Amino acid sequence: MSERQQQQQQQQKTEQPVAKKSPTDFLEHILGRRVFVRLNSGVDYKGILACLDGYMNIALEQTEEYVEGELRNRYGDAFIRGNNVLYISTA
Amino acid sequence: MATSQLLPLELIDKCIGSRIWVIMKSEKEFVGTLLGFDDYVNMVLEDVTEFETVGESKKVNHLEQILLNGNNICMLVPGGE
Amino acid sequence: MAEPAGAPVSMVEEPLDLVRLSLDERIYVKLRGDRELRGRLHAYDQHLNMVLGDVEETITIVDVDEESQNQSVHTVNRKVPMLFVRGDGVILVSIRPCLYDIVL
Repeated sequence: MSERQQQQQQQQKTEQPVAKKSPTDFLEHILGRRVFVRLNSGVDYKGILACLDGYMNIALEQTEEYVEGELRNRYGDAFIRGNNVLYISTA
Repeated sequence: MATSQLLPLELIDKCIGSRIWVIMKSEKEFVGTLLGFDDYVNMVLEDVTEFETVGESKKVNHLEQILLNGNNICMLVPGGE
Repeated sequence: MAEPAGAPVSMVEEPLDLVRLSLDERIYVKLRGDRELRGRLHAYDQHLNMVLGDVEETITIVDVDEESQNQSVHTVNRKVPMLFVRGDGVILVSIRPCLYDIVL
């Protein structure tokens, strides 16, 4: 490795804030974990994040559906269409 | 005549690591620390407060870390609060 | 049900795989506008347009009494032998719903 390359690498290291986390990093971090999903309508889902794609389509396991904070339904596996998703949060 | 203009997403990039105020198209707002975002302005926020205006009252909710869908974002204000 | 947390559902790599695994099975679909469908999934595409057979549709209607402002909720059911669902109205698709209905 040339001196310049080393220098560049060093620079990149210092410029990159430690906490920086892209949406992709976040998704890798929460895959397989319990998550909390809120839809635009205000309906919430809690479950284990099985997988998800670029549209924010979501596959959840052991899903619980909450309307106004009250448990309304349980689903074994659930597919949520991404256009309805407001946010995905760590549970 | 080349004025050095800051592109919209470059402004948001400068906010990484800082507090940011997100105003949605609906009556919803978020304040949190911006950890990152992508081309669709989907955002990863930390230490988040969610505000929802319902009539006169405001609902408040605290969240550790979220991925916010960029689809319904209306405005972003650097600094937050 | 006793799967350890985080164990991937076999053969599910992207969310639509879950729908693929439900082909020819009875599924539950939650739609915008307080509509629900229960039927057999014959076909779907990448937009989540679907063809369902032997469908039971449930519509939830909230009535507000003008004078008392009381809300009353009632549902309307109807059966359709075969229908096409446009994907953009879909909120959620559930597989194996029965298992949990019994638990509740």
